[in-house]
Amino acid sequence: MSGKALLFLKRLTSRLTNRLTNLLTWGATLGGAIALSGLVGCEVPVATFQPNKLQATVLGEKNSIDMSPATAEVSAALEELFGTPDDPRWPAALMEEEHLAKLVDMERLQRAAGAVRSDEQDQHFGLYREHCVHCHGTSGNGLGPTATFLNPYPRDFRLGVFKFKSTPFGRKPTRTDLTRLLKEGIMGTSMPSFRLLKDDELESLVDYVIYLSARGEVERKLLASSTELDFTDGDHLYDPSIKEKDPDEFEAQMEVINEIVIGVAESWDKATDQAITVAAPPEDYPLFTRDVGGSPEVYGKLEESIASGRKIFHGNVANCATCHGNTALGDGQKNDYDIWTKDWLQALNLDPKNREQISPYLKLGALKPRNIVPRNLRSGMYRGGSQPVDIYMRIVLGIDGTTMPAAAMKPQNPLGLSENEVWDVVNYVLSLPYEHLSNSAASVPPFAREKP
Amino acid sequence: MSDLKPDYRPVGYSRAVHGFALALTLSVFPLIWVGSLVTTYDAGMAVPDWPTTYGYNMFTYPLTTWLYGPFDLLAEHSHRLLGTVAGMLTIGLVLSAWKFDSRTWFKWWTLIVLLAVIGQGLLGGLRVRWDARTLAMVHGCTASLFFAMATSTAVMSSKFWFHADGRLWSTGSLARWTATLMALLSFAQLTVGAQLRHVTGGASPQFFAGSVHLHLTLAGAIVLLSFVLWSSTTQVAAPPTRRSALGLVLLVLVQVALGIGTWLVNYALPWPELNEFLARYTIQAKGYAESMVVTAHVATGSLIICFSTVATFAAWRTRAVRATRPEGTWQWKKQLA
Repeated sequence: MSGKALLFLKRLTSRLTNRLTNLLTWGATLGGAIALSGLVGCEVPVATFQPNKLQATVLGEKNSIDMSPATAEVSAALEELFGTPDDPRWPAALMEEEHLAKLVDMERLQRAAGAVRSDEQDQHFGLYREHCVHCHGTSGNGLGPTATFLNPYPRDFRLGVFKFKSTPFGRKPTRTDLTRLLKEGIMGTSMPSFRLLKDDELESLVDYVIYLSARGEVERKLLASSTELDFTDGDHLYDPSIKEKDPDEFEAQMEVINEIVIGVAESWDKATDQAITVAAPPEDYPLFTRDVGGSPEVYGKLEESIASGRKIFHGNVANCATCHGNTALGDGQKNDYDIWTKDWLQALNLDPKNREQISPYLKLGALKPRNIVPRNLRSGMYRGGSQPVDIYMRIVLGIDGTTMPAAAMKPQNPLGLSENEVWDVVNYVLSLPYEHLSNSAASVPPFAREKP
Repeated sequence: MSDLKPDYRPVGYSRAVHGFALALTLSVFPLIWVGSLVTTYDAGMAVPDWPTTYGYNMFTYPLTTWLYGPFDLLAEHSHRLLGTVAGMLTIGLVLSAWKFDSRTWFKWWTLIVLLAVIGQGLLGGLRVRWDARTLAMVHGCTASLFFAMATSTAVMSSKFWFHADGRLWSTGSLARWTATLMALLSFAQLTVGAQLRHVTGGASPQFFAGSVHLHLTLAGAIVLLSFVLWSSTTQVAAPPTRRSALGLVLLVLVQVALGIGTWLVNYALPWPELNEFLARYTIQAKGYAESMVVTAHVATGSLIICFSTVATFAAWRTRAVRATRPEGTWQWKKQLA
């Protein structure tokens, strides 16, 4: 082969390789781009409430019954009562009662629901989906897409249990409690402060949270009540097909349902009256945040109050050290779980550490059990608020859903704490971030220091 | 050594074409930044109609309402106007290319760029008309693809492109392929990031967790690639590749910091009691600093794609010329000797 032909062949190969490489690069780029852009749409539509499959399964297994007919009828009843995420409704039975109709404002509820948009007057709509849905989920089940990454997990509203409030243990929060929580956020957690939102927007969100919580609690109660029915024997919880044929039977079904709905709504309505008002301590009483740097006399009283608080903290009545630890670092009892976890774990007596045992429930919407850790009181982080009155309320009201109980109080309990003793504990707790760790040992009762 | 210095204006180079390509590239960056701000503030539906703005022709929309009205409206309407600037510049690019550029393939390429900008505008418009979040996500991803197209056009119309005859520069295959992989992975990374940003309440925690893990894995790969690219670009590598490689290392490090910041201002860290600041930090929803961190993370992501595109195109250009003109390399080696 001549040199000329060789050179031609060499150039041809070189050009072909060059073009092929370019083609491959471009093909890979565009192909990859198109494929990735296409993948982008793999999501579930947002505008449906997810049924409480976890509770249905737990109830079914506990009672050895098939819960699928009950789940279907509960879902149908809920849609009739509460509407959809795009078109929420407040149950007709509640609209008939003036005090229960007022629990939520329909206009605000509509504003919080639906898709996100805003107008020229800066009115925002679809507020729940704009601000809350990513963590709390469409149904308020605390199972938004981000849930597994957050610590603590986002609140599941469906149990009707809220942690930081001004009402007694086991009661619903007031609107003011919820509004305050939205405004302040919860420090050290993923719950943001929404103080930049307008008041009417916050009110709309409070309405929607009450709506989701009531809906979720009604769902739970309907599922629980349906375990008493025998669907195989023709029993029904909610059967709209008989509305025309057998109106009496349908009315009887609705009566049972409405009784549950009204019960849940009443618990929300009572909250305002159940809220406690904390009287400020007397003028001459030293408060840590108020009187630090005061006169030597006040400072002396404050030291006395802190010493008293320390004693109560480690004493048998308040018994704070059992969970918060002798050093108050939150290293006491750490093996317990919150109510949202216990709700399904205890119902079936499951071992939270047995992965095989719990994994079917994780697929149904349960979140991996995490121990509830008592607060490290030396970090200066108080999730329910850092004002003395907030700490006071946490002590006397406890924290719902957690192992933090409400303190026994005088005069109801003669062995309980007096108001001043609670303020002493408040002073001690607020002083902890500034107390040297080595000092705490001196305050520990001798028996607590003994090694077993 | 003066022989090695390229002429000021190489044959085939057009200042007008390159000027338009460069202006287009520069206009896309603020467009992406403002678009990202629209997503951060959930302002995609702040103007419910399109192509009009509250019934007005978008260019005649009252200045007072635009500038002093709601922030969401300011972001969305500004995004639309910036989009039209990019559109105009693309038209300028096409006209100048068809007038001044002698390369037929390049002329057609500019038409593809024009189609892309029209398509991107349509996607944005349909997102509004159909109120479709999924389209918003696609629009966000294709925005970076368009940024890469504009950047590549700027490279292909630059003086460097016409000078890259293989006598001066030679980019090694490791650098070339690393740059290419970097560009592809950066785009994949941005797409996964878009999934996280546009996530709806309907998505499952498993889907979100998978996206987060993929995002972190890709981030690790991109950090690694940026250092490989930087270390593999020798003194004789194409200057745009060399400079972009250094820029990419810096950008990637900034991006990692912004990524951590984005998580912190969105969800806080899962171990808040790590230190006092984290323990006491309360996230401010729609706060200025929070929004800027998140928006900057997206914008820097697109900048990484832009730099990777420059590095890739410049690297392949020097390789391509070398392959077709082997004597060029020989001459260059001879000159160096």
